Amino acid sequence: MIEAIDVNKEYRRAGAIIRALADVNLKIRSGEFAVIQGPTGCGKSTLLNVLSGLDLPDSGRIIFDGENIARATEDRLSRLRRQKIGFIFQDFNLVNTLTAIENVEAVLWPTVLRQKEIENRAITALRDVDLLDRKDHFPVQMSGGEQQRCGIARAIIHRPRVILADEATGNLDPESEKQVMDLLQKINKDMETTIIFVTHRDLSQYGTKTIRMDKGRITKVQ
Amino acid sequence: MWRKAILLSLREKKVFTVFTLIYMTLIFLTSLFIDLGLDGQLGQLAWYFVLIFFGVSLFLSLLYAWILVSRKRRVWATFKCIGYTNKNILVLVSGMIFFTTLVGFFVVIEVLFHYAAAVAYLTQASIVIEPKVLIDLVPVVTTSAIFIGVQILAFFLAYRKVLKVRPIIALKKVGE
Repeated sequence: MIEAIDVNKEYRRAGAIIRALADVNLKIRSGEFAVIQGPTGCGKSTLLNVLSGLDLPDSGRIIFDGENIARATEDRLSRLRRQKIGFIFQDFNLVNTLTAIENVEAVLWPTVLRQKEIENRAITALRDVDLLDRKDHFPVQMSGGEQQRCGIARAIIHRPRVILADEATGNLDPESEKQVMDLLQKINKDMETTIIFVTHRDLSQYGTKTIRMDKGRITKVQ
Repeated sequence: MWRKAILLSLREKKVFTVFTLIYMTLIFLTSLFIDLGLDGQLGQLAWYFVLIFFGVSLFLSLLYAWILVSRKRRVWATFKCIGYTNKNILVLVSGMIFFTTLVGFFVVIEVLFHYAAAVAYLTQASIVIEPKVLIDLVPVVTTSAIFIGVQILAFFLAYRKVLKVRPIIALKKVGE
């Protein structure tokens, strides 16, 4: 459902040109749990940014559900993210002045759904991540693992086709990391949601597909 | 989305309180000087003060818009990642600015009403206090309407800044 075809991306940093992605060709099928793994600076986050439409490749195509999003308008990309993509962030990115349930509901605020329906969906999402008892708590009142579970609830409330996670367990202790990875596996299996998980750690045991990267290139797909 | 803008405003307690108090004071003073100007009590001086207060109001609107967008860039970037368009974010930001001004207006009205009520009550006991009405309603409403009109410039600034917030900021590590 997501395909990168001959994708290249360069950055200019302190006068030097950095080739973040070099002739990347990749296909991720619907329902897969793809773990993109590689050392820091290998281009894995850039690849995720490009696959999600947050960044544009210098050349090549990104086909998302049959549509080339590399040339899509900002409005089209926003609609795509709202309808089909869920994000999980390394630093959780919860709004500190909103409760857990409000953070989850925020995804659906711009839609035409009534507040009651939005609330019901948020409750379902929080129940799925086993965080319903903390729904009225603010992020500062939650542990790192709980905040990330809230982030996952926010990513699944609109039942997206794909979830993108960039180092989503980077700020968690090993126990919380396992909880989050188990939860993502469960979401992948139960909801058949495609997951693309970027990490520098070896978490390949959780995925159905492991993609290794180095110096902007894909070195191994298994 | 307007209700969510009010929610976000009220949750930003410090900034909301400070700006509401400032707007309240500005609306009060501007209305007072307009009232004095119309009565001819301070002559041209009254109108100079009115102009100064409108200028201050414009500056504060722009400052508030700048604070709301710049201090919460990561929030807006995150919202863009989860599917918000620039217009969605502008509705939230402009709603927050507009709501703060409106609350300032209603607080001024409340104070003036209570003053008039207290004076009327004391008059009953033959305690005469002048003026009976501190500021006429018309200058207050006119001032508030102009203040809200001035917000339009703040909305433009907010929109320009919101356009520049790139969603990719949300993916950068905190402190990067």
